[in-house]
Amino acid sequence: MKLARYTGPIERLGESVLAYVRATVELIGLFFSTMAGVVRGGRPRGEVVHQMYVIGNRSLIFVAVTLGFIGMVMIYQACLQFTKVTGDFSQVGVQFIRLIVSDFAPTLCGMMLATRVGAGIAAEIGSMKVTEQVDALRMSGVLPVDYLIVPRFLASVVMTVVLSVVGGAIMWIAGGLTAQYSFHVNPALFYDMSLVRPIHLAMGLVKALSYGMAIPVVSGFCGLRAKGSSEGVGWATTSAVIGSSFAVIVLDFFWSMLGFLFFGASL
Amino acid sequence: MQAVELRGVTKGFGHREVLAGVDLEIKQGARVGIIGPAASGKSVLLKLICGLERPDEGAVIVEGHDITSWSEARMLPLRARIGMLFQNYALFDFMTIGENVAFPLSRRGGISPSEIDQRVADRLRAVGLAGTETKLPSELSGGMKKRAGIARATVARPDIVIYDEPTAGLDPVTTSKIYDLLAADQKETGGTVIAVSSDVAALAAFVDEIAFLYKGKIHYRGPASSLADAPDPIVRQFVRGDVEGPLE
Amino acid sequence: MSRGRISGRVLEGIESIGGAALAIAREAGGMVLLLGKVIRALFPPSMDARELVRNLHKMGNRSVPIVVLTAFFAGALMVLQSAPFVQRLGATGLAGWAAGYAVLREIGPILIALMFSGRVGANNTAELGTMTVTEQLDGLRALSIDPIKYLVVPRVIAMMVMLVALTAIGDLVALLGASLIAKIVLGIEYSTMYHSFADNLSPHDFLQGIYKSLVFGGAIAVSSCYFGVSVKGGAVGVGRAVNAAVVAAAVSIMLLDFFLTYMNI
Repeated sequence: MKLARYTGPIERLGESVLAYVRATVELIGLFFSTMAGVVRGGRPRGEVVHQMYVIGNRSLIFVAVTLGFIGMVMIYQACLQFTKVTGDFSQVGVQFIRLIVSDFAPTLCGMMLATRVGAGIAAEIGSMKVTEQVDALRMSGVLPVDYLIVPRFLASVVMTVVLSVVGGAIMWIAGGLTAQYSFHVNPALFYDMSLVRPIHLAMGLVKALSYGMAIPVVSGFCGLRAKGSSEGVGWATTSAVIGSSFAVIVLDFFWSMLGFLFFGASL
Repeated sequence: MQAVELRGVTKGFGHREVLAGVDLEIKQGARVGIIGPAASGKSVLLKLICGLERPDEGAVIVEGHDITSWSEARMLPLRARIGMLFQNYALFDFMTIGENVAFPLSRRGGISPSEIDQRVADRLRAVGLAGTETKLPSELSGGMKKRAGIARATVARPDIVIYDEPTAGLDPVTTSKIYDLLAADQKETGGTVIAVSSDVAALAAFVDEIAFLYKGKIHYRGPASSLADAPDPIVRQFVRGDVEGPLE
Repeated sequence: MSRGRISGRVLEGIESIGGAALAIAREAGGMVLLLGKVIRALFPPSMDARELVRNLHKMGNRSVPIVVLTAFFAGALMVLQSAPFVQRLGATGLAGWAAGYAVLREIGPILIALMFSGRVGANNTAELGTMTVTEQLDGLRALSIDPIKYLVVPRVIAMMVMLVALTAIGDLVALLGASLIAKIVLGIEYSTMYHSFADNLSPHDFLQGIYKSLVFGGAIAVSSCYFGVSVKGGAVGVGRAVNAAVVAAAVSIMLLDFFLTYMNI
């Protein structure tokens, strides 16, 4: 016999905290399951390439446009400040490319992909879940993680790095054009990579890889938990976008912190 | 060995308890129907049998194996011997009909592609969908999708076949045809059949026994032929569709 | 399906680009039309006050935790990025200025708007989308209630108001986060950061960010409502609409930020 449950505000807060904790534990479990699934195989042939095409194709213009505009805005604001303080633009280009490589390109690209790819994956997998196709997969002897999430995982890891590089290049060029035409900064002075060192490349790569891993796992997780019908899919997509974006921010903080603690001022 | 045994199974979602102590035994080769009011937990019961959901309490035993706490990976070989038709067919909308029906076979391995194609073609012909291998699910009508779902559920010749609402939303003639098909299948394979349906009359003509799921328990179990005259008043009211009576 | 090998492929490619361009134009046009209808419904103001209050409550309440957390990390990140520079030059007074300026003018409004778009915008599209799919909008029209006036306008107003409020709160939390990290990682005292903020940042910087968030809020609202009411095709359609809405909102935010930045010196 079930006892009556008192659900006052404290209980509800406690319940929701517990729910978040449980979800985080399941999410970590899904991550390890995905890594195991990469080794296990069991994904449809050619699916990884297909997903790479889907992710890359759909997101390229989006990433290019958004990162281009942000690059222009950043340089604009930076040059404005430099005008007020020193009037010397020699540092703008060198610092910009350093920051692009080690942080801006992967993180901004990650944020954009968290929205685009995260919503897409959650919507696809969520629709399958609410129409019982995921259960049908399980009945046919397939682990949904292997079949659905692993291909997207592998594709996302690769494409996030690729798109970060492309996006970073576009940011750089867009910023340089802004500096050149709005503040008359000499392109030769701006496009100077002398401050970029291997540690920056490593940081950027590690960040891009971690975002590429986090986004499909978080979104796939939300998709697999979709319940009901269209509201369920909508809710799954919403959670996926938030969760993936937040994961990108937290990972960025984590890696940046680690980088600074270990490499300090030489970063 | 029983095909399926449920002992004291309870299952709840959030604060809502759907199954409150279900005891059910189904012999091998039997044809059992499960009926009950809407949202009484019939689909949940079926999913528990397949291991798609885990009970909160109690035990689920399939072909002598207690699967209550089995991991997903461990259940895969057992699921090879169970076929399920889902309520909304659950056909994979990114695959053709042929690929859908072939899927359980292609995942199992050990069968040559040409034999898979042959068996798929045979199954589709048996359900009256010959030649639709290259069509997409979106191109079929509801009844045709249902039949494709049946083809997929039975193509691997499973020991236990589960039908969740096999004739919902279909006209009376198609309903009869579907049940004839299910009966012919079962006679040929000798497998166990568990069917859930809201169309009590048609279901009763197909199965040997009927179990009535009410308020989270198996309230009544008896032969299908004499269902309308069951000793229990609630069952009688439900089956006859009487508005007045002890049913809530 | 291809009409000859290479030329066929090229034709297909051009067709798909043209198709995509047409699709973008159609969506953009649709959103502008919706914006027009919303603005017309505001003069004279005739909206359901209860719906407005309900939406304000729902949207604000839901987003505070995620916005606060995001803002905190954003402020901290700004300090971390400028940390090597600051440490090398020993310019501890600069840390507050750099982080503060970036947060108030750009990072705060943009990041909070993006998170808001994901939390509230996507949810809104899903809600309106579900209502569309279950024919509730048609039901409203049958009762001669204009869905735009009844559903969309309160949500647009609520989203704009809420985003401004959240940006203001978020800016503050971001500055706090920046100060905390500056203390822990760089050893800069809170008082130094405070003075750095006070000396270098003006209310003008703060307000510029707020104006931006107002515009972003409008963009997110129009995008999310537009895709919500034009859903087709059940659960799959709702998922696709949410996807389109958040992407459109993100692109709009970046484009608008660019134009707004250039317009304010």
